[in-house]
Amino acid sequence: MADMTLTATPALEGYDRTIGTMRLAERTSLSLVSMAIPLDGEGRAATAVRKHLHAELPPATGSTLSSDGSCRIIQTAADQYMAIFEHHNDAFTDLLTNALDGAVYVTDQSDVWVGLSLTGPDAVDALERLCPIDLHDSNFPVGASARTVMEHMGTIILRTGQHDYLLLSARSSAGSFLHAVETSVRYTQP
Amino acid sequence: MIINHPLLGPRDAAEFVIKGDASLIDRPDWQIENAAEAFHEYLFLRDNPAGEHRELWYHEQGDRSWLVVTRNTLTHEVTRVEMARDVARKARA
Repeated sequence: MADMTLTATPALEGYDRTIGTMRLAERTSLSLVSMAIPLDGEGRAATAVRKHLHAELPPATGSTLSSDGSCRIIQTAADQYMAIFEHHNDAFTDLLTNALDGAVYVTDQSDVWVGLSLTGPDAVDALERLCPIDLHDSNFPVGASARTVMEHMGTIILRTGQHDYLLLSARSSAGSFLHAVETSVRYTQP
Repeated sequence: MIINHPLLGPRDAAEFVIKGDASLIDRPDWQIENAAEAFHEYLFLRDNPAGEHRELWYHEQGDRSWLVVTRNTLTHEVTRVEMARDVARKARA
């Protein structure tokens, strides 16, 4: 029998483009895990996140970074969080298999989202056409996150730097999402 | 219209779905004697006030919380936003 190997294909085939002063690129190596807190299990979950992921549970509109910088946690709903790993690493596998010693319910979300990073001085100009969130520094500082809607598609927006945003949307509509963001970026460039 | 979410701050109404009159929280007991009558009223009879109105809104494109929004139907002014679970718990207490 022939040897078969499965190769993961990124949703947008690794799209990476520089448009004027802006760079729009697919994040192909993100590993995502959603964590739901059992009823009355907030305290135990917070302790377990501290012990295993070396991070705090974030407030509703913020995010926290693990001490080694490999995992960022955002809140996606009341009693629900998402752990975003830069790469498929041991901490990710460990979280999925052990679920922080049973302190949370976990679901592997890596294959159902598409991640786009938007970088450049005109990022806010490009996003203001799409994003209903107030992205002003005072309301959406570096590290802030929100689940919202862009061009009718559900989106999680995370501010990762002064001019650096991570956008997550459904993989099934990745092409439409890229089209919306890319079109908006092009409008901002002469 | 902007809805001032108690946990997340001001959010665009496009993120929300309206789910009807806030009285829908008070579902009748199906075992009471006049349950059919109570459910008829619960399901079909609605006030249609010109002025202040309490409504259920669902934050579908956000944190998926249910809110009770007090809104003026004449001016669209939103005067109060509460978490529906807090309203329900207070009513039960």
